[in-house]
Amino acid sequence: MTTETRSSRPPRSPYVPTLFERLFARGSIDQPSRVERVVSHLLLIGMVIILVMPFIFVVAASLKDSARLFEYPPQWIPNPAYFGNYERLLTESPFPRWLFNTLAVGTIVTVLKLFLDSLAGYAFAKLDFTGRTPLFYLMIAMLLVPYGAIIIPLFVVAHTLRITDTYLALILPPLANPLGIFLMRQFILGLPRDLENAARLDGVSEFGIYRRIILPLVKPGLVVLAIITFTDMYISFIWPLVAVRSEDLQVMTVGVSTLRNMTSVNYGLWSAAAVMSMVPLATFFLLLQRQFQARSIAGALKQ
Amino acid sequence: MTTTPATPAETPSVLAPPPIDVPYAIELVGVGKRYDTVMALADVSLEIEPGEFVVLLGPSGCGKSTLLKIVAGLEDATDGEIYINGRLSNYIRPGDRDVSMVFQNYALYPHMTVESNIGFPLKMRGSKKDEVKRLVGEVADLLELGDQLKKLPEQLSGGQRQRVALGRAIIRRPVAFLMDEPLSNLDALLRVQMRSELLKLHRRVGRTTVYVTHDQVEAMTMADRIVVLRSGSVQQVGTTAEIYAKPANTFVATFVGSPQMNLFAGSVETADGGLRVRGPVTVPIGADWGELAAGSNVTLGIRPEDLAFVPPDEAGALVGVVDLVEDIGAEDFVSVLLDGVPCMVRTNVHGVTREGEKIGIRIPEGSTHLFDAEGQRVERRA
Repeated sequence: MTTETRSSRPPRSPYVPTLFERLFARGSIDQPSRVERVVSHLLLIGMVIILVMPFIFVVAASLKDSARLFEYPPQWIPNPAYFGNYERLLTESPFPRWLFNTLAVGTIVTVLKLFLDSLAGYAFAKLDFTGRTPLFYLMIAMLLVPYGAIIIPLFVVAHTLRITDTYLALILPPLANPLGIFLMRQFILGLPRDLENAARLDGVSEFGIYRRIILPLVKPGLVVLAIITFTDMYISFIWPLVAVRSEDLQVMTVGVSTLRNMTSVNYGLWSAAAVMSMVPLATFFLLLQRQFQARSIAGALKQ
Repeated sequence: MTTTPATPAETPSVLAPPPIDVPYAIELVGVGKRYDTVMALADVSLEIEPGEFVVLLGPSGCGKSTLLKIVAGLEDATDGEIYINGRLSNYIRPGDRDVSMVFQNYALYPHMTVESNIGFPLKMRGSKKDEVKRLVGEVADLLELGDQLKKLPEQLSGGQRQRVALGRAIIRRPVAFLMDEPLSNLDALLRVQMRSELLKLHRRVGRTTVYVTHDQVEAMTMADRIVVLRSGSVQQVGTTAEIYAKPANTFVATFVGSPQMNLFAGSVETADGGLRVRGPVTVPIGADWGELAAGSNVTLGIRPEDLAFVPPDEAGALVGVVDLVEDIGAEDFVSVLLDGVPCMVRTNVHGVTREGEKIGIRIPEGSTHLFDAEGQRVERRA
């Protein structure tokens, strides 16, 4: 049946595109042509090499013993791999303790900050209270003060409160950063006022509105804030260096920097520490990034 | 109905009216709202009977939504008293006032399913899970939302979202529903459809409803009584027929009715044993006006549909030139210039006139409205 109908039609003359057309043809309006694809891939591959090379170099260095570190030409994939650096790092140095400190402080600060900043952001965005606007601008003005300028005063305050050289010294000051409040306020401002009003009429308390209505709806904002805060805490160096002295309270950044003094300069050990320190942050970021992407896509598709 | 019958003592149906043992479901006494120097609402007094459908009608900024929010407790009144079910409610929190509200943009909780949205008010009041489930089922049947319960609001059409918002309001069995322009986000066709659905629902549920709109057609078709507001004060309270036939002032006269009432300024003079209004348009108005003295300034009002076309040479006819004919299908809106003053005529006879044509207009006896110099209605002598 089908063949009959087909044969009854006049044969269509096949269109043969030229080489130029083939190279620059697009499958559809948003698909790149072959040439565009090749060029963009070359560019991207180049950038990836530039970004990944140092990383590979560090990983390679961490798997070599001191004798082979400065071989020329460098061995990109050490064979045989030497795990002594990792062994020393985990058994002879306080690295596990540093890692624990960083993760603990980072997690506590992140959780507290998510709670406090979203609560403050809700107040600034939705509640009427005396002095709301001046207070908000004052807070924003604090963002303009460079961190370096407040380290000494901050230390004096911490010292007066007798919290230097404690976990509190590492946890309390970062909580005061107003960026998160500003961020959460902007997210919460975007929610229609009628939503809270509906909840009020449904018999929900103010805190209930925050918890049951606002928080679930600003999840993308919370994820952003969590990533910013945790990353910030993870790589913070100056304040932990100033605020705590005892070995037990050292965070990873400060700890790793002291490896140089402990062992003269063992680049292999140092590289191993660098690699180990990357693992938790990379894991954290990958985990949240997936949720972050899913959320922002869901948000974009709404309406 | 798929719902199972329950013990009525414990869990009454959502259709069962709440006990109201006072004459008024809602009573407002001298309610006012001041923002710094601006008076948003002034001295609003209103009694709403149980089961009544009251529409607050007015242009934007007239204070109708503010009044509704004050009743709901979302805004505080700066003056006056609000009684809901006989209870002074000025200082009662919105959630405890026993009213529920439907918002213009529905205000459904985007992160909850339809089922959770409808059941939320009960859940917040600590109702038992199976009771919430039963009542949600009952509401869903009532609003034909049975298949949508597991969906999120973003997966619903505008009309369905509207029904979910209604369901959330109904399930609590409140003393009154407050509705803030609930149909204005829908397209024209759906709005008319939802309007009749709402009305049917009101007949079925029989609950006191206060409904805010700026749409006079909505107001006139739905209301038991209309409250016309302007700049924060009540202009007139009455049934659709009262508001339309006896507008209290020139504002109500022009705000209600489309096309709006023709108004002509003039002064009263005696002629031929009766009175007439002399102005750009001179019209005899008969003698039966009580307190109207010759020489007083008045405004004469005539509804476009009360006017009739006659040949220009007919005795007593006003003569003018047709300026514009608007054909809206069922009727024609004809704008006629009477000595340069525009006058709208609404006629259901097509093609009687052409633009530029000279034509006569007859004003039937008794169809004129008269307003004094302050714009207040002057009543005919009985």
